[in-house]
Amino acid sequence: MLPSLDNLIIARQGPMTTELVQRPGDFGLGRVPSRLAPSGTIRSICGFCSTGCSLLVHVDAGGQAINLTPDPHHPVNHGMACPKGWEALTPLAAPDRATTPLLRRSGTDALEPVTWERALEELVGRFRATLDRYGPASLAVLSTGQIVTEEMALLGALAKFGMGIKHLDSNTRQCMATSHVAYKQSFGFDAPPFTYADFEESDALIFIGANPCIAHPIMWQRVMRNARNPDIVVVDPRCTETAMAATLHVPLRPKSDLVFLYGLARALIARGAVKPDFVAAHTTGFPEFAAFVASFTPERVTAETGLSPEVMDRLAGIIAGRERVSFWWTMGVNQSHESTRTAQAIINLALMTGNIGRPGTGANSITGQCNAMGSRLFGNATSLLGGHDFADARHRQRVAEVLDLDAECIPTEKSLAYDEIIDGIERGEIRGLWVIATNTAHSWIHSGRFHELRANLDFLVVQDMYATTETAQLADLVLPAAGWGEKEGIFINSERRLGVTRKVSRAPGQALSDFSIFKLIAEAWGCGPLFARWKDPESAFHLLKALSRDQPCDFTGIRDYAHLEDAGGIQWPYTERHAREEGGRTFIPDAPPSRTSLQMGGAGGYEPPAARSERRLFADGRFFTDDHRAVFYFDPPRPMPEPPDEAYPFLLLTGRGSSAQWHTGSRTDKSAVLRKLAPRSLYVEVHPEDVARLQLQPGRSVVVRSRRGEVRAFVVETATVQRGQVFMPMHFDGVNRLTFPSFDPHSRQPSYKACSVTLAPVSG
Amino acid sequence: MSLPPSSDLEAPALSPSRLVGGTTGLGETLAGTRSGASASSVRSFLADLLEEQQQLQTPVARFAASASAGPAPAMKSLYRDLIPLSRPGPGEQYAFEVDLDSCSGCKSCVAGCHSLNGLDDQETWRDVGLLLGSDTEHPFQQTVTSACHHCADPACLNGCPVLAYEKDPITGIVRHLDDQCMGCQYCVLKCPYDVPKYSERLGIVRKCDLCQSRLAVGEAPACVQACPTEAIRIVTVSVTTSHGRLTADTSHFLSPAPEPSVTFPTTRYVSSRPLPPGLRAADQGSHPPQPAHLPLVFMLVLTQVGVGLLAASCFSSGDTPEFRLKQTVIGGLVTLLAGLGASVAHLGQPLRAWRVFLNLRRSWLSREAVVFGLAVPPAVAYAGTRFLADGMGSRPLGQVTLMLGCLGVLCSAMIYIDTRRPSWSWLQTSWRFLGTLAVATLIPLAAPAAAAALALKLIGEVSLRPADPETQTGAGWRGRALHPALRRPWLLRSALGAAAVILLGFDQPVSGFALFLVGELAERRLFFQDAAPSKMPGVPRG
Repeated sequence: MLPSLDNLIIARQGPMTTELVQRPGDFGLGRVPSRLAPSGTIRSICGFCSTGCSLLVHVDAGGQAINLTPDPHHPVNHGMACPKGWEALTPLAAPDRATTPLLRRSGTDALEPVTWERALEELVGRFRATLDRYGPASLAVLSTGQIVTEEMALLGALAKFGMGIKHLDSNTRQCMATSHVAYKQSFGFDAPPFTYADFEESDALIFIGANPCIAHPIMWQRVMRNARNPDIVVVDPRCTETAMAATLHVPLRPKSDLVFLYGLARALIARGAVKPDFVAAHTTGFPEFAAFVASFTPERVTAETGLSPEVMDRLAGIIAGRERVSFWWTMGVNQSHESTRTAQAIINLALMTGNIGRPGTGANSITGQCNAMGSRLFGNATSLLGGHDFADARHRQRVAEVLDLDAECIPTEKSLAYDEIIDGIERGEIRGLWVIATNTAHSWIHSGRFHELRANLDFLVVQDMYATTETAQLADLVLPAAGWGEKEGIFINSERRLGVTRKVSRAPGQALSDFSIFKLIAEAWGCGPLFARWKDPESAFHLLKALSRDQPCDFTGIRDYAHLEDAGGIQWPYTERHAREEGGRTFIPDAPPSRTSLQMGGAGGYEPPAARSERRLFADGRFFTDDHRAVFYFDPPRPMPEPPDEAYPFLLLTGRGSSAQWHTGSRTDKSAVLRKLAPRSLYVEVHPEDVARLQLQPGRSVVVRSRRGEVRAFVVETATVQRGQVFMPMHFDGVNRLTFPSFDPHSRQPSYKACSVTLAPVSG
Repeated sequence: MSLPPSSDLEAPALSPSRLVGGTTGLGETLAGTRSGASASSVRSFLADLLEEQQQLQTPVARFAASASAGPAPAMKSLYRDLIPLSRPGPGEQYAFEVDLDSCSGCKSCVAGCHSLNGLDDQETWRDVGLLLGSDTEHPFQQTVTSACHHCADPACLNGCPVLAYEKDPITGIVRHLDDQCMGCQYCVLKCPYDVPKYSERLGIVRKCDLCQSRLAVGEAPACVQACPTEAIRIVTVSVTTSHGRLTADTSHFLSPAPEPSVTFPTTRYVSSRPLPPGLRAADQGSHPPQPAHLPLVFMLVLTQVGVGLLAASCFSSGDTPEFRLKQTVIGGLVTLLAGLGASVAHLGQPLRAWRVFLNLRRSWLSREAVVFGLAVPPAVAYAGTRFLADGMGSRPLGQVTLMLGCLGVLCSAMIYIDTRRPSWSWLQTSWRFLGTLAVATLIPLAAPAAAAALALKLIGEVSLRPADPETQTGAGWRGRALHPALRRPWLLRSALGAAAVILLGFDQPVSGFALFLVGELAERRLFFQDAAPSKMPGVPRG
């Protein structure tokens, strides 16, 4: 066909136009770019945060991922994803992927490619020499919430039962340790009680130290779908995106949470908002708690939190007045010097007002990493595999039986926490460190100390997708790991939902899945036969099922990966009895109606997902403690360890900067799209009056200095931070050179959000 | 499972490493049981694992989600309420509507647009920014999302020399014709909202087409599909013809954004609470240096200098030595032609440049190209008469050349003035462009006069510097702060200019001319780099 004269003058057709042409997508996808038309789609749970969104990965005929869209048929995300989810495949193709093991030529800066055989020989030789010389406490492992449950369980078993390494902890210490301990003490088991439908079914949602608008945007989607005209309260020193969207923002002083929550409890008691029947039947310790909070008078609360009595009054009125009140917290609570008691103060509010076990209620910890919940159950760090107790001989026996190993292999006590491992390195007791899928040199509090202590380590192994992370750059040996999308296994999300993540892309070079690397190391170490049952991730999953039997997290009713995939994930508990009751039927929800039609009442016949596929805990008021009663925990508040003073007059808050960035950016910085969605360099948010007083220039550099280090950042002038406070996003290296290392005594979680700093303009 | 020798079980408890006989190395595994063979067993195990790592399940081998979904888009129930039920009627067009109350700042719209439209790695058609309040008692922040505003009177379309933009008569969608575009990027400069994005790979710009092919079949645009909070929808808005151009109601356009009366953007930003006064974009006043567009730098300076030299030759008195005259004429012609040649280097698709005349009616770029194009034959002929016919008939040819050349320079200036960027005000732009022309004209005629003119030009470049477009402060000498990265180039430009003034002042036309030329190139580079872009609010930047 000849091009028409018209097309010659005005070229409406041609190769460049064709590049963007779309075609009707099959598989219910709608229109897709023709050049990326898939041969099929594969459901896979996203590997960034704990929301647990299901992504439909578009694959070509060879099964290789070429694109993705969020899964409309999944009860978690209803066809939506945040930018990280949309861009989940991009970091896999980054040019700086580690493709072979890399070994540091001794005494140099150079990491040189070596064979896997050589790498294994070094690892086994060096670690074994250390163990032989200094004993089992001389090695430590830092694991992660970013790998699949089967891998973290295998790692925990390999390190502690196979290699005899005494100390293992995980980066979940940085995000979820507090919730873990708080729930364990208060409820008898680490059991976040909620289901995401609770976002839609609440009359009042109280967010404390949580910014779901950008930290968990797909959970916020559910809040927005709430058709009950809810009160939305945000308790946060900053006027965050979520605070902007709230009906009430409670801008308390940083680290005054405990005073605030105890004062709130007192106000609720005074209002008669306590549910005495529930408290009497299902809890322990309320009278003591009520007596304890009596001293938290409105005057004291106002003086210590900076909040007006009216705000407290309004909040108490909301909680007392609405039928279904849910409490949600994240890192603003978990990362504190008294975080466990703060989380428990929230739990106490839910217990005393009977806001638990009913739709739209609960004391609900929103988790951070995609598999923090898996780590909490199967990391084998603080708890023995499956939420068991290292100190309990029966538990050790059970685990040994399931895994077919000698119970003598299992340590009788939990290992050191992350901060204690760092201390051990400083004391010279820990000589070898193995870091998996985390970036200690960037993310650990007071990170400069880790850089200094590197010299104390005889051997540092880093297992990661990239050899370019700040930590990998310090390593003696880098093991190239396959990433999300290049392996399979299960994640457990914030609402206790197990979901499968799938292998949809080939790993580059000789990168191997963490599961394979652990198996390989087991073989090289000589303990391979101990893990014969861990043939592949799915066989390991069956071991995990068996380990969960009769625990509160029992998921023995799940048949296999296919069952999880077909059902859109399954929340624990899901016992064999649950499975029998459902008769093996699986439920694939359709995409729901829009929020608009839901709130206009135009979604006739629509049944919210909770009724069909979601479950929450404690509907029967029976908790997991021995006497089935929840326990009120409380302690007097303590001042923050490093308050601002004359020399360092500002309080530095840190946290998530945007929805497009994940933690230390080792993956999200690889996407050009994600890079566009956030500032490209470190910035510091400063109140306009402080900007004026210090004669700072917005957009220009300033030096932020603490007693531990200094960084350069550009100034963002905004009243969303309070006077005397500054905020910096945690995603940029250097922020943690400033942070002050203090820890909650119960959870050992670092207090990232409070240290004193000073600001000084930079000339030039 | 192999059990270790019993003697080893008596080793200290909880130290399974002791089970392995205390030796080191890959070759040693469970003591004594498999030594020797194990190195190779690890090796073959490794080979198996590496092979397994590369295995993918093909879609045929598994049915997964594919089987559960029918041909209809599964998302339809979620977006059905977010797109109009019918096509726009007469006097209407499609438009984006953004509900600021619902926009939570997740930015999924940008990523969803990127993936669903199959854009290049670096390419995004939607942008997000942040608005910050100035009231310290009532802190305020608001994320804003924007794509093409499908303006009623699009500046891109009006400015495009090759008619690579069309406004659909029914939907009002402003569509870019990718195979028509010659990659001149004038639309990038013309659009007040920084919408068209240049692709180095393709040598053209591309932009949002409101997912017209999705809308045509009742599917929602990518960004609408991707928004978790249903903050973006498609609506129909009315457009009216007024004074021969289409206009739209812009009362719902975002207030802290470029003035909408230029192009009548159709996007509606709605909110149940009015935006507080005193909002500013988080990236206000902190724009990085803009692209230098070196081919354009050369094109502008060389055409202006070329025309100036030719003018000088026309104005030369009769007693000018013949070799000086020839030198000036040939210098002017070569410089002019080099300048026009440089313009081609600016194009991403130079082979499509033959269509450059298509938009003479509205585009100053078309006009500039045509006028300079017309100036070439008489310029060549004029030079020819100087060299071959001892100036026979050169006067009328010179006058025609001069007229077209000056007209071309004016068109050049209008190209930038017509972008309405404050940095490129008519005064600032014509001062520079005509200043270069004037000094170049004076150098061969009277170097000291040229020195005075150049000194005047240098002073004007600084004192006529426009105010900051966003804060309206810092005009002239006091100047809005020059970006730190541009301070050194500015010093260089000033030094070159001053040196040229001195040399010319001492009647050194040749060396003075050389420094003048380099100085003007430096000046023009700054002209581009220092021009604060007109754009929608962005994310904070340092």
